[in-house]
Amino acid sequence: MDPFSDVTSDDEAVWLEDPKTLQDSEWSRLSSNFTNAGYREGITAGKESALQQGFDEGFAEVGAPLGREVGILRGMALALISFLTASPDQASQQDLIQELRDISSELSRIRLSDIAPRDLEAERHAREHDIEGNTNGDEMDLELTEELKEKKDMEKLEDLMMQLNPEPASTSSAKRPTMDDVRRLKERLAALSVRLQLEPRWS
Amino acid sequence: MDFDLESLVDVEQRFYDDGYHDGFAHGKIHGSIEGRALGREKGFEMWEELGFYEGFALMWQAIHAQQSRNEDRTAHHIRQLLDLIGQFPRVNPSATEPSDLDIPRLFRQIRSRYKALCATLGVRPTLRAADSIAPNSSEDAENGNSQSSTRPSGSKSVWPVQSIDNQRSGEQFSF
Repeated sequence: MDPFSDVTSDDEAVWLEDPKTLQDSEWSRLSSNFTNAGYREGITAGKESALQQGFDEGFAEVGAPLGREVGILRGMALALISFLTASPDQASQQDLIQELRDISSELSRIRLSDIAPRDLEAERHAREHDIEGNTNGDEMDLELTEELKEKKDMEKLEDLMMQLNPEPASTSSAKRPTMDDVRRLKERLAALSVRLQLEPRWS
Repeated sequence: MDFDLESLVDVEQRFYDDGYHDGFAHGKIHGSIEGRALGREKGFEMWEELGFYEGFALMWQAIHAQQSRNEDRTAHHIRQLLDLIGQFPRVNPSATEPSDLDIPRLFRQIRSRYKALCATLGVRPTLRAADSIAPNSSEDAENGNSQSSTRPSGSKSVWPVQSIDNQRSGEQFSF
């Protein structure tokens, strides 16, 4: 076989070059093999070292307080609905009941992703990955956990269903609620309690 | 190519260590981002349900105060329910010290107290958990998988992730 044919593989090419290049390429192959192996182990260990603290932080600072806020409003709205619908002069309070049903259904549309503050570190880091391109793609299977991914998919599906369902073509279903909407719903609920002369502890 | 074997082994270790060091720093960022995302979801999910019971109880308390009705049973259930909810942590206890708080049990007590309150009020209970039966039960399966593959044993102390979910899916069918 002709060693100088143009089908020389990379390996063959290496042998054809001078020893210095050979040494360099061997060196860099060695270095990147071991560096990559270390990197892979390190990334897993580093991730595990920070997971718990991140969880606690997200739970205490964002998830629990926001969930409680929305939950309390829903509970209050439902208590009022059940109170009014059971009262004897129900007919005269039809407008109140309708208002409560509106509030209630708007509250039930709210998702954590609508009202959670941005995770700036996550955004910054995602941008860094964008800049890097996909250079270390195979190490980057660290994005979302299965669980969160599934929830996202579910929400997308819900959105899709909303769009397909032509019936409640209200403008409010078109865009996602925000924290301002939560505040407004709370005010509407408070105004309603005043009309009913109720003074719940807003805790 | 005249390096000796000793130094080669050394060099391998150094490359590995350098890589490990960089990887660890990078992994830490991902761990904290992912942990936060999970903690947000779990905290929201749990406290939305608890807050619902809380708001329900608070409003009925106000209704009863206004009507100066003092039905003992209802008032008792409301007080008990609010008291139980008040015991529920808003911070993951693993952050502070290992606690012997039995979260699933507390959750169970809260739900049944809420149902008892509804019964005395003559109102049909809305179990917030029931809203998400379908997504939750499938999520639970996922949760189990991802848990075993990505969670270090040290993270088992993340109490809400597993215990409550299993708790809930187990209980869903009894309502």
